[in-house]
Amino acid sequence: MKFSDETLLAYLEGKLDEAEAAAIESAVEADPALEQRLMALDPFAPVVQAVFERVPVETPQVDLPQPVVPVVRAGGGLRLLAVAASVAIIAASATFWATRPEPLGWVQQAAIYQSLYVPETIASLDSSSQALDEQFAQAEAQLGRSLNREELETLPGMELKRAQVLSFKGKPLVQVVFADAEGRPFAFCVIRQGEGAPNKDVQQAVLSGLVTANWAQDGYGYMLIGSNDQTDLSGQLDFLTERFAG
Amino acid sequence: MSVLTPRARSVESKHTQVAIYSMGGEISSEQAVRGAIQMHSKRVWRFGLALSGASDVADDLLQSTCLRALERHHQVTSHDRLDSWLMTICRSIWLNEVRARSVRKAQALSVTPEADLIAPGNDSETNIFATEVFTQVMQLPEAQRETVVLVFVEGYSYREAAALLEVPIGTIMSRLSNARQKLKTVMQHEAADTVRRSGK
Repeated sequence: MKFSDETLLAYLEGKLDEAEAAAIESAVEADPALEQRLMALDPFAPVVQAVFERVPVETPQVDLPQPVVPVVRAGGGLRLLAVAASVAIIAASATFWATRPEPLGWVQQAAIYQSLYVPETIASLDSSSQALDEQFAQAEAQLGRSLNREELETLPGMELKRAQVLSFKGKPLVQVVFADAEGRPFAFCVIRQGEGAPNKDVQQAVLSGLVTANWAQDGYGYMLIGSNDQTDLSGQLDFLTERFAG
Repeated sequence: MSVLTPRARSVESKHTQVAIYSMGGEISSEQAVRGAIQMHSKRVWRFGLALSGASDVADDLLQSTCLRALERHHQVTSHDRLDSWLMTICRSIWLNEVRARSVRKAQALSVTPEADLIAPGNDSETNIFATEVFTQVMQLPEAQRETVVLVFVEGYSYREAAALLEVPIGTIMSRLSNARQKLKTVMQHEAADTVRRSGK
């Protein structure tokens, strides 16, 4: 059955009787083209659509879980993480390197070592002439020079106790220990620094709680270490610089 | 193309969107579902509003629908008409999980249509008319309301709406006829206004 546009519009406006309306509805069920005609003629649809298209005003937000990252991307992510981690390690290392303590010089190390000495350390040392002979022979062999043992034995206010061979970064270091009038340890150290090492004037400093003085001359370093941070080294210093400064 | 009515243009654009999905043979079903959610969120929300009559329920329905769709993306065999699929999920959630509690709430509060969704703080003649149409549609019985929104607003054909709502096509047509009878009054007001405005 054919329906005119007027008939279809009359149906849409509710102006047809029940039988006419039923005829159109059953025809539409079997005829998609008729359905399209009917829809296109509907005067209500565009009005309602124009109103509802304004709702909602803004696109509603939806919370969705993040997409599962593809495996390839995950590998990339791990590599990125590895890079980030190594950068962090490098940064930490650089920070550590930049803020690391200055390496201790022989003067500081000797002071630390000497600070462990107490009167008891030197009280029981064998200071016999024979023992000292052996020690000085060994020490002078290591240093490659004389220690003027006879002079040291006359150091004002001091009793010669021992000469001991030590080493600092592969360089021979000799510690000559004395006891002062009260039996407290006192030390004179000599290190062979090698030719070309700069000469240094006498410098005094309290290191590891001990008064110290050091200087350098002709490839050798010298150091005096008192028994505490108040020791007056001047007498010994004059004596020694006079004999070991050239 | 310029002679198309606004509604016809909207329907055309809907089918263009579907064509975009059809072309993308390589996108995964999850990507397709995410794309459909992004593209159709407004339509799903509107359908949620048509079902429930309340914008806060429409918010919840949209959110639930999208999560459910994403969970079920494996079920998608064709990327065509994912909008219908989303609408079906939305309606299923409404009927099975939300409706009983929302209707009780609506009866308790005797809610009126949220006309401010249409014309927030604006009293122009066009907005007054739009508000009347909106209120009339929202006051239709639920079955007529969902049918009107699917066919008049979203441009689904009678048979598409029938499939979506799982009723015979005759039922769709009779629901629309009943809805037109109720909308007639406000439409005649508009016709009278148009005559009055053009007579000035």
